[in-house]
Amino acid sequence: MSQTSATAAPEKLWAGGHSPFKVSYGKMMMWFFLLSDALTFGALLISYGTTRFFSHVWPDPNQVFRSFPFMGEANLPLLFVSLMTFILIMSSVTMVLAVHAGHCNDKQGVIKWLLLTIIGGIAFLGCQAWEWTHLHAEHGWWGAFTDPATNPVSAFHHFFNPHKEAVQAALPAYGMQATHDFFNYFFTITGFHGCHVASGVIFNILMLINTVNGTYERRGHYEMVEKIGLYWHFVDLVWVFVFTCFYLL
Amino acid sequence: MSAQHHTDSIQHLYEGDQSKLYSGVLGHHYSDVKSPESKKQVKLIWKITLYLSIITIAEVFVGLYGHSTGIPNGVIAAFFLVLTILKAYLIVSVFMHLGDEIRNFIMAVLIPLLLFVWFIIAFLADGSFWLHMNSSVPTR
Repeated sequence: MSQTSATAAPEKLWAGGHSPFKVSYGKMMMWFFLLSDALTFGALLISYGTTRFFSHVWPDPNQVFRSFPFMGEANLPLLFVSLMTFILIMSSVTMVLAVHAGHCNDKQGVIKWLLLTIIGGIAFLGCQAWEWTHLHAEHGWWGAFTDPATNPVSAFHHFFNPHKEAVQAALPAYGMQATHDFFNYFFTITGFHGCHVASGVIFNILMLINTVNGTYERRGHYEMVEKIGLYWHFVDLVWVFVFTCFYLL
Repeated sequence: MSAQHHTDSIQHLYEGDQSKLYSGVLGHHYSDVKSPESKKQVKLIWKITLYLSIITIAEVFVGLYGHSTGIPNGVIAAFFLVLTILKAYLIVSVFMHLGDEIRNFIMAVLIPLLLFVWFIIAFLADGSFWLHMNSSVPTR
């Protein structure tokens, strides 16, 4: 190449030997994995949205999600899912503090915050287990609400907004199909998200063991905490969208 | 290029060393947890936590009472959408430190996500068209 050194500089940037993005290979690949995972979650949520748009009626979140553990029949819409959201946000905060402690090479700090993150993740999974059990007890499940003979309007009308007459009037014709679609998407998407949280908890436990054993201290940096931290925040980020799509809209 | 030479030149790129090289570049390396820069960063994290909590509380409040106030559904949906994007921005930019990466890398991650603009518009339009084609009586 017969170029002057000034114009050759950008070419050298991509000529190998160091990262033009100034990130390590592992961290960059974590970002690209998260990008692909975002497309997967996006596909699930958009397909949910499409089904919802072509349905005549759709269950009302304030009716479906109105229970709280040990509160019996008290009408407490969105309260439990708000608690779940708060737990996940807090576990994201403890994770970012663990990453920060890692930047400071503060082993005790990493241990403390990772432990709290694991507790938060397990608490979230516990809440999800309760919610699934509760909805299952209300006959919601994959493939439920398919047979009109065993699912009269009285089997699902309580999932819909009781104050909208047009919705109530359309239930005999369209209610069962909408309830069926709603629960299929709900269990698939929150289940896929729950799997991500569960894997994240396992990664965090492995990292905690490594930190306690001094693996990262000997290595000289805590970049593994940073990489798994990215994954954990992504899982929180997905929940932000799941929360909006299923519980708010 | 001989095989021997090749092995030598990539030796320093082994993950452990390479990560050491780059994890310090972005200005998020502190000498001590108790240093002023470190404390400033922790303060920022808690500030963002406060924002995320306030936004979530606002969303739940509107989710509970918004529909009975007579505000059009479209406005409420737009409100949720804007706040959700705002929350996503705060998490990605601060918690995931993407805001501290160099511009080219930010673009490499964000530009592919623009596909969603097309996905969402196309699929939701298709859904409502299907409903329109299959409705004899409009229900909503």
